[in-house]
Amino acid sequence: MSKIPLNTPVLDPRIKRVDLESTYGTTAIGENEHWISWEVFHQKKRGDQHVHVGIVHAPDAQLALLFAKEQFGRRLACVNLWVTKSSDIFSFSYDDEDIFDNATAPEKQYREASGFRVMEKINRYKKSKQKA
Amino acid sequence: MYGGGYIQEEKQEATSPIDDSQKLAEFEARIDRGEKIEPHDWMPADYRKQLIRMIEQHAHSEVIGALPEGTWITRAPGFRRKLALIAKVQDEIGHAHLLYSAAETLGKSREQMINDLLTGKSKYSNVFNYPAKTWADVTVIGFLIDAGAIVNQVANSKGSYGPYCRALERICYEESFHLKQGHDAFITLATGTKAQHDMLQDALNRWWKPIMHFHGPPDKISEHTAKLMRWKVKMATNDDMRNQFLDMYVPKILEIGITIPDPNLKKNEATGQWEFSDPDWDEFKRVINGDGPCNAERLAVRQYVEEHGKWVRTAMMNPNQKVVIPFA
Amino acid sequence: MEAIKNLLFRMADDELIYGHRMSEWTGMGPIMEEDIAYSSMAQDKIGHALANYSILEKEFQTAIPDKLAFFRKENELMNSQLVELSNHEYDFSLVRHFLFDHADFIRYEMLSTSSFVPLAQLSKKIKGELKYHVLHADTWLTRLGNATEESHARMQSALNELWNYALGIFEPSDYEAQLIAEKIFDGEKVLQRKWMEKISPIIEKANLKIPSSSTPVYGGRKGYHTDQLQPLLTEMAEVISSEAEGTEW
Repeated sequence: MSKIPLNTPVLDPRIKRVDLESTYGTTAIGENEHWISWEVFHQKKRGDQHVHVGIVHAPDAQLALLFAKEQFGRRLACVNLWVTKSSDIFSFSYDDEDIFDNATAPEKQYREASGFRVMEKINRYKKSKQKA
Repeated sequence: MYGGGYIQEEKQEATSPIDDSQKLAEFEARIDRGEKIEPHDWMPADYRKQLIRMIEQHAHSEVIGALPEGTWITRAPGFRRKLALIAKVQDEIGHAHLLYSAAETLGKSREQMINDLLTGKSKYSNVFNYPAKTWADVTVIGFLIDAGAIVNQVANSKGSYGPYCRALERICYEESFHLKQGHDAFITLATGTKAQHDMLQDALNRWWKPIMHFHGPPDKISEHTAKLMRWKVKMATNDDMRNQFLDMYVPKILEIGITIPDPNLKKNEATGQWEFSDPDWDEFKRVINGDGPCNAERLAVRQYVEEHGKWVRTAMMNPNQKVVIPFA
Repeated sequence: MEAIKNLLFRMADDELIYGHRMSEWTGMGPIMEEDIAYSSMAQDKIGHALANYSILEKEFQTAIPDKLAFFRKENELMNSQLVELSNHEYDFSLVRHFLFDHADFIRYEMLSTSSFVPLAQLSKKIKGELKYHVLHADTWLTRLGNATEESHARMQSALNELWNYALGIFEPSDYEAQLIAEKIFDGEKVLQRKWMEKISPIIEKANLKIPSSSTPVYGGRKGYHTDQLQPLLTEMAEVISSEAEGTEW
């Protein structure tokens, strides 16, 4: 391969030590060379739920955990991590988002605390007692 | 229901110029309501294409950006700077990782993206094609390039694509440390010995042009740009972001006795816009197209690194594993 | 007192030089997840060096850590030669990581009951970090030792090259008897025995062989170094030594 057309001298001592010419223009990453992906779940403190925070690429579960520890546990409080293969995650389609539509609809107030007006009834009773 | 992610072959919608009009209307209505688009949603082919391009370039910029600063890792003066610089460059690689992950959800594999970087097909931020000649260059990059990036990233974090926004939220949090450590190192040199001050002034003089290039040339307000802004892929014009950056950081440079090498730089109080000399957009184009001081070196280093890491990656490959697009 | 100072310098210099070598991989690792993990360990090691130099400053009124790390001469450094060797390829770096970190982990474990309280406290504080370093090293060694013909050959050849240098970690000091008698540290001999017991089964699990003939490379602990240390020190001090000592950066 041709010599690297450097316009300025290399300044990084780390780079000066290596033979850049040896690979110039010849490298390609093969398909699946970055392994499979794993979904990472992070638990901030004992008692909390594990929360999904992203992915890592790794060849197996143990390396996935080791990688996840540094990419997702190095800066934040953390007591535990889970990883699972992305291929083992099952999800609804967003096309079916409407199946969740009425979860918080007013018609469903019968299962909410706010759907019951206890004080109103008590006050009404107290008032009627006073009159009597 | 989607089982186990979705396979990579299914990634692209037909690139038919006429997207389904009802789906398009629903898609745009969702964005107008301020809702996010998620990976499995229907999206116009052009939206997908532009997002991949943008997020991928952002990721490449982090990977390549690690190089000029990495130049000074082994020479950082003192424990505090040494540790902070390693942590900062580490974060850049971490950001690249988060961004590639977000782009992967749109159907382009990390391998493909890195290959496009190595061949020069896919671009990265122009500023990283300039050399970091002295320690002061690291402080200019750490303070002002990171500041410029934050303006950009904060804007983009309010965009419409869920995974990109999520990645940017974490990135912005970490960038605030970068900016602070850069500002601290910048002030230390500015207010230090004469040699330190001069070294910093020299570095800023060399970096000012690339800094003015950072947010890109003034946008042509084309129909295409308007569409990308409506879809919340592009969140502000280049000039707006540059203006915001100058508003915030010019005073911080001047207040510690460093001068800016552009006699025409001033804020027009009537328009609220900064005015400045032509930062040489021809040079910007030349560098983008490969003829900058360090383009060849940057790519050669990445090629070297990928080639020498290849035996580790291939040794651990397992052909029986099912590769799917991650959720991120 | 000299005995403890000597021990602290050996540990701090090892961690500084080794952490510096690790940091040379930052941004240049074989895959980005590993790059991030390795950079964390580089920071940990340099942080441990700083902690030990700080103990020297606080307990023995030596110079400040920056001066101890950046301004000492090559023949004043007491690191083992193992840690100063150039990185070479990732195989070499990983095998050194495995050999050094097991010794480091066990050394701090032994120090957790030291009569010298600052070291006992430091040991407890960084136990988790060291546990991760060892887990990381073991995982890679066993994976790559068993993966492909190439990866196996690379790891074995790195182990062959590094073995004698690794034994140099345990070069006895002039203070062994005193450290043991005062219950400060059980000595390099005990450390080496525990290290062998710990790493042998892992090396076997990695399908690798410990070289049959071994001659420890001593000298580092007394200030004798390979030609690879001075360039590292010159580079490390390039910026900080360009101005008068004590200048803020």
